[in-house]
Amino acid sequence: MEKIEVPQEENKTLDGIKKVMYTTDNDGEFKTANYGSSVEEFATQVAVEEYEVLKQESLENIKKGLSSPIEYFMFENRMDLPTLASVVGMFQFRVKRHLKMNNFKKLNDKILSKYAQAFNIKIEELKDFNV
Amino acid sequence: MSEKFEHSQFAHCESGVVSTLLTHYGLKLSEPMVFGLTSSLSFVFLPIIKLNNMPLIAYRELPKNIINKVSKVLGIEIVKKTYKNGVEANNDLTKFVEDKQLVGLQTSVFYLPYFPKDMRFHFNAHNLLVYGKEGSDYKISDPVFEEAVLCDEKELTRARFAKGVFAPKGFMYYPKNIPTNLDFSSIVKKAIKKNAKSMLTPFPYAGVKGMRTLAKKISKLNPNSDPRYLKNYLTHIVRMQEEIGTGGGGFRFLYAAFLKEVKKYDLDNELLDEASSLLVKSGNTLREFALLCVESSKKIDKFDANKIAEKLVEASKYEEEAFKLLKKIQ
Repeated sequence: MEKIEVPQEENKTLDGIKKVMYTTDNDGEFKTANYGSSVEEFATQVAVEEYEVLKQESLENIKKGLSSPIEYFMFENRMDLPTLASVVGMFQFRVKRHLKMNNFKKLNDKILSKYAQAFNIKIEELKDFNV
Repeated sequence: MSEKFEHSQFAHCESGVVSTLLTHYGLKLSEPMVFGLTSSLSFVFLPIIKLNNMPLIAYRELPKNIINKVSKVLGIEIVKKTYKNGVEANNDLTKFVEDKQLVGLQTSVFYLPYFPKDMRFHFNAHNLLVYGKEGSDYKISDPVFEEAVLCDEKELTRARFAKGVFAPKGFMYYPKNIPTNLDFSSIVKKAIKKNAKSMLTPFPYAGVKGMRTLAKKISKLNPNSDPRYLKNYLTHIVRMQEEIGTGGGGFRFLYAAFLKEVKKYDLDNELLDEASSLLVKSGNTLREFALLCVESSKKIDKFDANKIAEKLVEASKYEEEAFKLLKKIQ
């Protein structure tokens, strides 16, 4: 019978939680065992960091007057365009327009409150966004 | 139904929840049995469906497969409810909890406050059990966690009504009528054959062929293209294999455990052992594959597309061999 290797590495992204996987004991019977995988850790960290980079890029673009605070909060909430569009119940092309600063400035409170609700923030945090 | 509920930890959320639910309502079935009986081992690579701008890759059947198939395969009636709004869903859940009835829920990981921050992404098909309530906190048995946890009703409701791909719409479920005198020997045979058929499908984006299609796609990745994209792409493949799911080729080990467990139903045990062993090999190979993906994203200049693709093809060969054997099970 093939042996199953159970990695016992640190995975900081789990915050101390130990997950389980199936492996075999000495008699070849299957059982669950705790494992920790640094491969898994790295993959998670890359995904987390990607959103941090997107947020930083968004801040730069807000400073330049290109991107809107909606874009920043979209990344802050680890969303992509289809997810945000689905949460606020609007078409993607419309949401995409709202990610631009000059379109964002024309938005009324009704639309803004939809976004604020999606991000679980106050509408002022969008309106008075400071870089 | 017994009053006392004890939390247990599992390798995978949906098979864990269904195993606990069935056992609780009177049919003792292990996690590998639930996974195997619902023919849940799979491979899917669907580049047209995007999650965070990355293609959908799954190492098992799509979400809800286990819940839907377990009723079909075992003739169990499963009550499934979705709701129009959170208030209605939460009131109904409270009612079930007060009646001491154990129920399963589909949720989004992003809105569950007890998850570590780094794990909270918009994955909408996470399953958990609710077994009690204390004030405004639900008592939750989350199969991925070591211990039972608490979650405020507002936050749980938000997690139940997340939007996007696989939106749960408040989905709640529990088994109602569980038949007795199930003929497991014939059910197991059918389930294995069905899984063999889906793994050996000629459709190029699923099963063994799907693994090879992804391998081809990897081998064509241009090492000189945007390193950020490459890094994200390679680690995405790994995340779909590991996160929320189970370590490395975890689903392969889960299925291998199933093949071992069904030996008690008087089937061709030699064949089962051989197939189980092949799937363990595939699981180990998938871990090496994940390791190569991660090494390459750490050092993009050392990225060897063909080497990574070959590892995936190697795993696909073990699986092809295993399921060609299993197809013939009598």
